Amino acid sequence: MRPSLWWIRAVSALVPGEGRRAWREEWEAELATRDGSMRHAWGALADAWYVRTEGWTMNGMSRDVRTALRGLARKPAFTFLAGLTLAIGIGANTAIFSVVDGVLIDPLPFPEPDRLVSYNHEAPGLGVNVPVIPHSEAMYLHYLEGARAVDALAVFSDDNVNLMSGGEPQRLAAVQVTREYFDVVGVQPVLGRGFVEGEDRPGAEPVAVLGYGLWQQTFGSDPSVVGRLVEMDGVRRRVVGVMPEGFAVTDEELWIPLEIDPDDADGGSLGLIGVARLAEGATIEAAQVEMQDLLGRYAETHADDLPPGILEQSGLAADVKPLKELFVQDVRQALWVLFGTVGFVLLIACANVANLFLVRAEARQRETAVRTAMGASRLDMMRQHLSESVLLALGAGVTGLALAAFGVQGLLRLAPAELPEILRVGIDGSVLAFTLGVSLTTGVVFGVVPVLGYGRRDLSGTLREGGRSSTDGEGRHRARRGLVVAQVALALVLLVGSGLMLRSFVALRAVDLGFGTEGLMTFRLGLPGAEYEDGEPVVDFYRRLTERLESMPGVEAVGMNTGLPLTGSKSAGPMEPVERPFPEGQLAPLVERRQITPGYFDVMSVPLLEGRALEWTDQGDRYRAVVVSETLAKAFWPGESAVGRMIRAQGDDEHAWEVVGVAGDVRFDGVRDEPLPMAYLPVLAGDAESPLGAFGMDVVVRVGGDPLAAVQGAREALRSVDPRLPMINPRTAASVVEDAMAATSFTVVLLGIAAAVALLLGTVGLYGVISYIVSRRTPEIGVRMALGAPVGTVLRGVLGEGMVLTGIGVALGLIGAWSLSRALGSLLYGVSATDPLTFLGTAALLGAVALLATWIPARRASRVDPVQALRAE
Amino acid sequence: MTGTRRTGVEGIRMTQVTALVLRAVAAGYRYGFDVMDACGLPSGTVYPALRRLHAAGLLAARWEGAAEARAEGRPRRRTYELTAPGVAALTEAEVKLAHTRELLDGLAAAPSGGAR
Repeated sequence: MRPSLWWIRAVSALVPGEGRRAWREEWEAELATRDGSMRHAWGALADAWYVRTEGWTMNGMSRDVRTALRGLARKPAFTFLAGLTLAIGIGANTAIFSVVDGVLIDPLPFPEPDRLVSYNHEAPGLGVNVPVIPHSEAMYLHYLEGARAVDALAVFSDDNVNLMSGGEPQRLAAVQVTREYFDVVGVQPVLGRGFVEGEDRPGAEPVAVLGYGLWQQTFGSDPSVVGRLVEMDGVRRRVVGVMPEGFAVTDEELWIPLEIDPDDADGGSLGLIGVARLAEGATIEAAQVEMQDLLGRYAETHADDLPPGILEQSGLAADVKPLKELFVQDVRQALWVLFGTVGFVLLIACANVANLFLVRAEARQRETAVRTAMGASRLDMMRQHLSESVLLALGAGVTGLALAAFGVQGLLRLAPAELPEILRVGIDGSVLAFTLGVSLTTGVVFGVVPVLGYGRRDLSGTLREGGRSSTDGEGRHRARRGLVVAQVALALVLLVGSGLMLRSFVALRAVDLGFGTEGLMTFRLGLPGAEYEDGEPVVDFYRRLTERLESMPGVEAVGMNTGLPLTGSKSAGPMEPVERPFPEGQLAPLVERRQITPGYFDVMSVPLLEGRALEWTDQGDRYRAVVVSETLAKAFWPGESAVGRMIRAQGDDEHAWEVVGVAGDVRFDGVRDEPLPMAYLPVLAGDAESPLGAFGMDVVVRVGGDPLAAVQGAREALRSVDPRLPMINPRTAASVVEDAMAATSFTVVLLGIAAAVALLLGTVGLYGVISYIVSRRTPEIGVRMALGAPVGTVLRGVLGEGMVLTGIGVALGLIGAWSLSRALGSLLYGVSATDPLTFLGTAALLGAVALLATWIPARRASRVDPVQALRAE
Repeated sequence: MTGTRRTGVEGIRMTQVTALVLRAVAAGYRYGFDVMDACGLPSGTVYPALRRLHAAGLLAARWEGAAEARAEGRPRRRTYELTAPGVAALTEAEVKLAHTRELLDGLAAAPSGGAR
């Protein structure tokens, strides 16, 4: 061969794929006209280089995309199925990620959020189910004086306020805060000012800061509202400021000063939640060490409130942590579990799409062979496959994003309780980046799988056999089986997870709460302290309201409690039997104390086990009567009757209570928490000097029919007793229980959906592979049947193949589930993380579905007509 | 090469080389090597120019018929011809060229440069 032709051939290596052959032929033909002289051949290098660089940079890229689009458009069904599968996977991941991002990752929307901390205590020894142990007034003042590691320290307490505007009462979520509060969060009012020194001390003029929304809606965005007097809970407060739009830590709309008297600070009641802004350069650890030190000194000087023994027994210690942890405690675990779950779903979706691509690669073997023969390199083929898969994944990503945008709304509606408003969940930059990353990764992952088999292959064989080469598909065939095994395994892990959650849910449902909810409607009331004098007027109000409600048609019973079970209200204190007081320095059991009206046990169907219920006449100073729960009675007087015994707050020598009855236990803190020892006190719980009336009450009404039908009547009854009081949050008692189980039911629903999708995708994958095996073996099966093989043998052969794949997948899945189910941890109730019944049950379910998925193609195989099968060959 | 492609002069920077190549093809030089001879430029210059003009849609390329090639006892050659945008681009280029020539002639006729 002439040197010029060698040269052209060598240089043609630079020319990319498809154009190479034509390029070479053009040069060869031209050179032939000049006797192949080298003189004219040198320029081929410049030409090849030009074609290569131009081709790769612009035309090549857009050509890849165009070719990929055409390839996808040629198979609309394939594209739709694969795209939808991926879009579901990516959408689910994006939706959960946007929640994870908003709740767990995004910083709080305040300046320098890293410096914001929860500044409270922990007390592991108490065994109470609360996120933090807050401050007493005296503790707060002590820390305020001594803390150097924080720039600002504030305490707050949630409150509700009845605002009178335009003659209508309006119930607002408010927060009582000390004046440092706005400095701590780092946000100042847009209008007017925050609180100044002295405004959080008794005797100061009552003031308030309005939320932006409240200012807009109730005060028509009138800037002159600053300085105006507004009636709240019967007190005329001067508005001093308006906070910026969107500012709220939970859902509060109003801030009022928390009054503390430094000369008479309360040391007993721990109800003030602390927040602080770390000093420049100070660490959480430093603040924690300092706070612990301050706590030690506080305990020394306040031994009355905090005896050394109790300090030790309760394990009370400083607890400084990022402020965000205060809000996300409950949902953190469920969110990570869900995130892991949808990750699995995406993996299964990827495996399915990779399988679809493999089938397609199989079908396109002939095309591939032709193009390779035309000079397309392995790299070119890979590029084409990748551009198809990445394009598909990006399209699925866009669709997934749209699905997620809707999904997030649904998710938030389902979400346990209401997430505080500062945790902003939505599609933002990091979510977009996440989706893009996931789409690209999945595109590359399942795009590469089908190409791995390329390369060393007998092309002429493929061409000759019309693309049905039996040897060459073996590698890819193995890949497909591997993918199916992985899908089955992943699906089983999800099935086990959702099975465990389902069993927990059933177990929670079966828990005896100790009270009934049928036919119960409930709402909350808050008596303004400025309107009602503590003592007889308070009792009188509740008695009149009870009578009004009872006289409504259809009403069967009426009762009230300062805080219903499962609503999250907490009011516990140590109590002891008078005849057997606990030694000083040893903490008596924490008893949950409630004030109730006489009808409470009846309306809630809480059984009275002994003695009698409370009466309206059981009022503080006249007759200090108490009904205790069974748990408390058994703890203090095991095996004996509690009625007639006396109990008291630990160490209180002046007041005692006589037990008049014993009521059945109720689940109070949560459905999954064991019943607490409880003491039910009358509406007035104090004595003549300090009556301690119940100013906030949950009212419960039992009606014959639909509980919510009673709301209107109850509203009128309330209005007739006091027209200024708003009815707060009317709902059914059943919904209170639902809410308490929301975290579990939320996880159950989502895990269930994920597991169902996984099962569906896994089954489709298995069905596809077995169908494919059958179609490839049709000729062989035909021959065997022609030779007299019984139908049963053929059937068993195919079924066996499917069952082997399923079996391996199930075995791997069981191992995976065994090691992963522990992550569900405290989300589970009444079932162990490795519950054999759930494991075997879900494995059996998966096996049964897999059997069905194999049965259909197996049956097709057994009906193969030998003659036709052979003719097809 | 298939699919839609940008056509027209705005898709390409008209240099002396590309204008020359375009002119040669318009003059009836159909094969790459003939264009090369006509322009007196090396293949490494002519071919990239041909590619660029083709990519911009000013030239159309096709393989000559097998019968034609067989009659002459050689492999099939690739032929190039002007497209309608190519004709337009060439006209435009020639107008510009004529304008340049006028300017140059005017300069040559100026008193200081006058040899006559």
